[in-house]
Amino acid sequence: MNTRNDRANGDAPADLASRELAARLRNALRHPAAERLGRRVPLLTTRALVAVDAEDTHLDFTQGRVTVREHVPLLHPWDFAIRGSAAAWAALWVPVPEPGWHDLFALSKRGEMRFEGHLHPFLAHLQFFKDLLSLPRARGTA
Amino acid sequence: MTPASLEPIVGRYLTTRVADDTCRIYFEEAGKGIPLVCLHTAGADSRQFRHILCDAAVTDHFRVLAFDLPWHGKSYPPEGCHDEEYLLTTERYVATVRAFCAALGLDRPVVMGCSIGGRIVLQLAAEHGSEFRALIGLEAADFQKPWYDTSWLHRADVHGGEICAALVSGLVAPQSPAQHRDETLWQYKQGGPGVFRGDLHFYRVDGDLRGRLGTIDTGRCPLYLLTGEYDFSCTPEDTLRTAEGISGARVEIMKEVGHFPMSENPAQFRRYLLPILEEIRHDG
Repeated sequence: MNTRNDRANGDAPADLASRELAARLRNALRHPAAERLGRRVPLLTTRALVAVDAEDTHLDFTQGRVTVREHVPLLHPWDFAIRGSAAAWAALWVPVPEPGWHDLFALSKRGEMRFEGHLHPFLAHLQFFKDLLSLPRARGTA
Repeated sequence: MTPASLEPIVGRYLTTRVADDTCRIYFEEAGKGIPLVCLHTAGADSRQFRHILCDAAVTDHFRVLAFDLPWHGKSYPPEGCHDEEYLLTTERYVATVRAFCAALGLDRPVVMGCSIGGRIVLQLAAEHGSEFRALIGLEAADFQKPWYDTSWLHRADVHGGEICAALVSGLVAPQSPAQHRDETLWQYKQGGPGVFRGDLHFYRVDGDLRGRLGTIDTGRCPLYLLTGEYDFSCTPEDTLRTAEGISGARVEIMKEVGHFPMSENPAQFRRYLLPILEEIRHDG
């Protein structure tokens, strides 16, 4: 039976980069730092999708606490999605990002990131999501 | 224990007419010499200039004055306007700056403004340059591309202060000290409902200056433009393009600074500002 790594060995380098960046995000969001951040938003219950190119990670939030869902059935619902290129996430998570690559909206302005769906929970808790999605920077590589 | 310290800043209120309204305007000042009037960014207030107001290298030669636009900081909305939608216009903004300078009898002041303050500096240069000794635009451009829908800034189901601060937080450079970053964002968290959005009306709808800066005479009134490399709202490219269209305009891109140079990283900002002030002082 093929393992995930076996399949990855046959991937193009770009797919590998996306897979590694998504893994880095998932690891960071399973760290206690994410739970600490969640205490700032005790009323937040929503479902988000974060994409690194075509590599999806589903995040379910219940009263601020995030559950990372790596393997979900087809048509798993989400309220809003944040889709960025691998280049965008990689640039955002270096220790000191370069100008124009240092913020979700800087990236969207340059066409490297998109926001989709029902944006209210995202924007009503914007600083939380910005900080949460910066955790891979502080955590380093997976 | 940190010893107590008293800053040289003095705060006062000025009541004056602006267009058809009577406005009670709060301002802070320090220093003596050439008047240097400072204009804050959209949705913020004069506290952004607290470091310049306490910098002896500036205040030994300049009388620094920073006021809160009506509706901002400690300046209330004009009497009878509390229930109106606040929308800043070019005409209103120019009238406010000129009324402030005239009421205090400032003799050919230098005006330095940031963001919307930088945009209005360009308008002042184009239409009223002879009234000023020099003009300094921070994060200034004749136009910049909007990057979000401002309706999110004022709606009942989103905390206005929190979303305003969160949106602009990315405009602070990552190198800026945490304390200064926090103070910069705190002002956005404290802004009145709809005020940031109302300021951006001027910035985005009413203040497009493309093709309207040909009358600027930098021989009569020097114009300096400084923009931070991390500003993705008014980008370095926006400012450089603007400067290219103004003969004699001086422009510099500031390293490791974002949209709020004077408040987010005052130590870095003064490296760029002090030589300009020195030049203004020696040119009279």
